[in-house]
Amino acid sequence: MNKRKHADLSVDFLGFKCENPFFLSSSPVAATYEMCSKFLEAGGGGVVFKTIGTYIPDECSPRFDHVRKEGQPFLGFKNMEQISDHPYKENLYYLKKLKEDYPTKCLIVSIMGSNEEDWTRLAKDVTEAGADIIECNFSCPQMTQENMGSDVGASVDLIDAFTKATLKGTNIPVMLKMTPNIEKMEVPATAAIKAGGHAIAAINTIKAITHIDLDLMTALPVVNGKSSISGYSGAAAKPIALRFIANMKQDDYLKDIPISGMGGIETWEDCAEFISLGCKNLQFTTSVMQYGYRIVEDMISGLSIWMEEKGYKSIDDFCGKALANIVPADNLERDFKVYPKIDYDKCVSCGRCYISCFDGAHQAITWDVENRKVEIDEDKCVGCQLCLHVCPVANCITPGKVVFKPKDQFGLGSEAKYVEARSGDRNITVGQYDE
Amino acid sequence: MSNNVKQDAKQNYLCEEVPPFTIATAMEEASRCLLCLDAPCSQDCPAGTNPGDFIRAIRFRNFKGAAEIIRTNNVLGGICARVCPYEVLCEKGCSRTGIDKPIQIGRLQRFATDYEKASGFKPLKKVEATKEKIAMIGSGPASLTCAAELAQKGYKVTIFEEKAKAGGVLSYGVVPARLPQYIVDEEVALIKDLGVEIVLNTKIGKDKTIKDLKAEGYKAFFIGAGIQAPKILDIPGTDLDGVTNAVEYLGSAKPSNGDIEPGSKVVVIGGGDVAMDCATTARLLGSEKVMILYRRTREEAPAHKIEMNYVESLGVHFHYGFTPAEIVGTNGKVTGIKGTGFRDGSTIHLECDKVVFAIGQMPDASVKDISDVSISPKNTIIADEETDCRTDIPYIFAGGDVVSGGKTVVQAVAVGKRAADSIDTYISKEAK
Ligand SMILES: Cc1cc2nc3c(=O)[nH]c(=O)nc-3n(C[C@H](O)[C@H](O)[C@H](O)COP(=O)(O)O)c2cc1C
Ligand code: SF4
Ligand code: SF4
Ligand code: SF4
Repeated sequence: MNKRKHADLSVDFLGFKCENPFFLSSSPVAATYEMCSKFLEAGGGGVVFKTIGTYIPDECSPRFDHVRKEGQPFLGFKNMEQISDHPYKENLYYLKKLKEDYPTKCLIVSIMGSNEEDWTRLAKDVTEAGADIIECNFSCPQMTQENMGSDVGASVDLIDAFTKATLKGTNIPVMLKMTPNIEKMEVPATAAIKAGGHAIAAINTIKAITHIDLDLMTALPVVNGKSSISGYSGAAAKPIALRFIANMKQDDYLKDIPISGMGGIETWEDCAEFISLGCKNLQFTTSVMQYGYRIVEDMISGLSIWMEEKGYKSIDDFCGKALANIVPADNLERDFKVYPKIDYDKCVSCGRCYISCFDGAHQAITWDVENRKVEIDEDKCVGCQLCLHVCPVANCITPGKVVFKPKDQFGLGSEAKYVEARSGDRNITVGQYDE
Repeated sequence: MSNNVKQDAKQNYLCEEVPPFTIATAMEEASRCLLCLDAPCSQDCPAGTNPGDFIRAIRFRNFKGAAEIIRTNNVLGGICARVCPYEVLCEKGCSRTGIDKPIQIGRLQRFATDYEKASGFKPLKKVEATKEKIAMIGSGPASLTCAAELAQKGYKVTIFEEKAKAGGVLSYGVVPARLPQYIVDEEVALIKDLGVEIVLNTKIGKDKTIKDLKAEGYKAFFIGAGIQAPKILDIPGTDLDGVTNAVEYLGSAKPSNGDIEPGSKVVVIGGGDVAMDCATTARLLGSEKVMILYRRTREEAPAHKIEMNYVESLGVHFHYGFTPAEIVGTNGKVTGIKGTGFRDGSTIHLECDKVVFAIGQMPDASVKDISDVSISPKNTIIADEETDCRTDIPYIFAGGDVVSGGKTVVQAVAVGKRAADSIDTYISKEAK
């Protein structure tokens, strides 16, 4: 029996009508014609071709490492790669063939020069080869040459010069890829847009050291006894990427600038999260390195089923919808607390909530030794919900009763009492946890 | 038994034996999956349910997409998740076995279909019926699948069932501990939602004939009538009060939610899954001693080992290597059974008040009344269910136990899919 179509995932990105927003990001996963073609056949909306430069870098071996916690591998991924190691002409040939064979798929090409002439020439050549959009790589943290990589992304002057140089060589839209190795991405992003750029791509990898080899006393991966600080990506990068994107989308100058989001995208839910913060295009690498192009199948299926259920007719219907609810910390309401509620039918009496509450919160859970039973002491509980996060049983601890803080919270007056309702009762929305 | 004890016993009988996964435990299990390149698990599912893909969907938190993969490939996915002998099918070649033990594919399949139900998601939508009328005879898994597939292709499908409930062996055989009735009812309802009409209490060949149906405009027929006649051994004492057979025993227990007199000391004869289901039924309904008498060894028993382990865990006694020789009784009632060694001269005498024959079923002679298609000497319909399910009458197709003499539910699903394609080809190419 055939699967039916659930929702229209098409989206306009910089004037290109993309079949869906799922793109390979610029990296070894999008380095040849054959690779890009396999991804496009699997359903991808387009690719960002591996960064093309004017020279072939000399790569080290080995060049990867990954972080695990307990049994889970690939929480984060470290790489020490630079730009494309294929000959210039070969890359241009790949681009041409991709555009010829997949005219309806969007071809974004990442480029990186070391001086203005380079940027102009690269822009001109990839435009002629058939690129629909150019992505300027201002952000690779492991370049060995000066004036290249993430140093560029941290310099407003270089961004200005290189963006302008790129625009000189082309008439197609230009997107600037930002480094997260700074505090405020709004600053370089603004410079890039002011220089004439059309969109922002974020984030590139985060400078990191994943592990130290305690025998060799160097970092991983070990390149003949030595290692370097280099780019970190994958699931662990997602929270960082999301915050940079929210900051830009909430910036007065940048708020309407299209953003292509990336950093740790693996599932359709990750995709929906980036879209909810205003991204109209999504890219991923690490998840493909771990699992292959086929992951796009579940992005398409999962996102479209969810949209159908929510009644969203298009990506635009919910794009940026979460931004209004992400507010500065001083705007949060702070006059109530939400107690955790323990479902004793589910509780397996492991005592983990007790341990975490005692050692990491407010000593608000009691442990009945005889009966192996935990109980919440509402006088001491502050509603931080650490216990909820550590409980290993699905839906055993959930957000429960809401109480309002006393007016005279820090004093010792007669009003120092929590109340369950306050005049003009408000409805307090709490998060839902499903596992 | 006091009323209370009886109540508890019935509760046990109706309760599903294996607990469901939660999202967290399903994710744990799905994370164990190696997401293999060639997914041996998918290659080993007779119905093409495609575990490799649905486990991957779960792994990437696309739970509804997982349900969609299952339903579009196997409309009885929730049933198969519970009754399939995974250890010899999808889990058999699982690559994870090279590290520790296979992925629990059946439980993940059940998780996905349970999630589908709990969330109200409907992967399949009714297709407007603009094509010919097709009739299914019998409502077991082969017919149900064939009906659903044809309805999705736009045919007007009607199922005729002689009994009061649809589902065949699913409703009158498999114990609730493995397959609760509500699961069967829900999947039957899902098939009705696709536009399939189900006419109950109507036996084709008796209440109505294929000739009548042709006159009503039906253009093709699928016979998936199953097999119901119990095999009984020709030994003294089979006419005693307390001697019964699996078809009757299971077939009265399940539809009545366990409201039968299970017997207090029960001997089940046989070593297949049906014998295990009889022993389970007796034990869960409160029989104090349940014994299985099987003529060969444990290794030779055709029952799936997981089922045997489960039955053993219920405290059922197994007596291997004996053939029943005589059922003894007083005042017309069973009091015991005697057996002799199958491979030696030893003897056994078991006291009991109930004897259940579970040594197999056979098609009964009434299969001849349904149609004029050729029948084998064993009363099975002659058709090649591995290819096109055609009989020697062009517009009549057949499959499932009525052809094979008895296979698994998932094999019947596979046959139902093949039959639907074959009927579609016949209607579009030949019938016009
Ligand atoms: C091995 C590897 C090579 C990469 N090479 C490039 C590159 O050539 N150009 C670029 O702009 N980004 C490069 N990246 C960064 C990715 O495109 C992406 O921005 C980053 O990995 C975050 O996304 P992810 O978590 O989905 O991997 C590379 C990443 C990896 C892991
Ligand atoms: S909410 Fe915080 S303070 Fe209250 S019981 Fe849980 S861990 Fe302790
Ligand atoms: S952590 Fe959860 S399961 Fe463990 S004792 Fe606390 S409430 Fe019970
Ligand atoms: S064979 Fe086993 S490990 Fe491999 S994909 Fe199937 S379930 Fe996963």
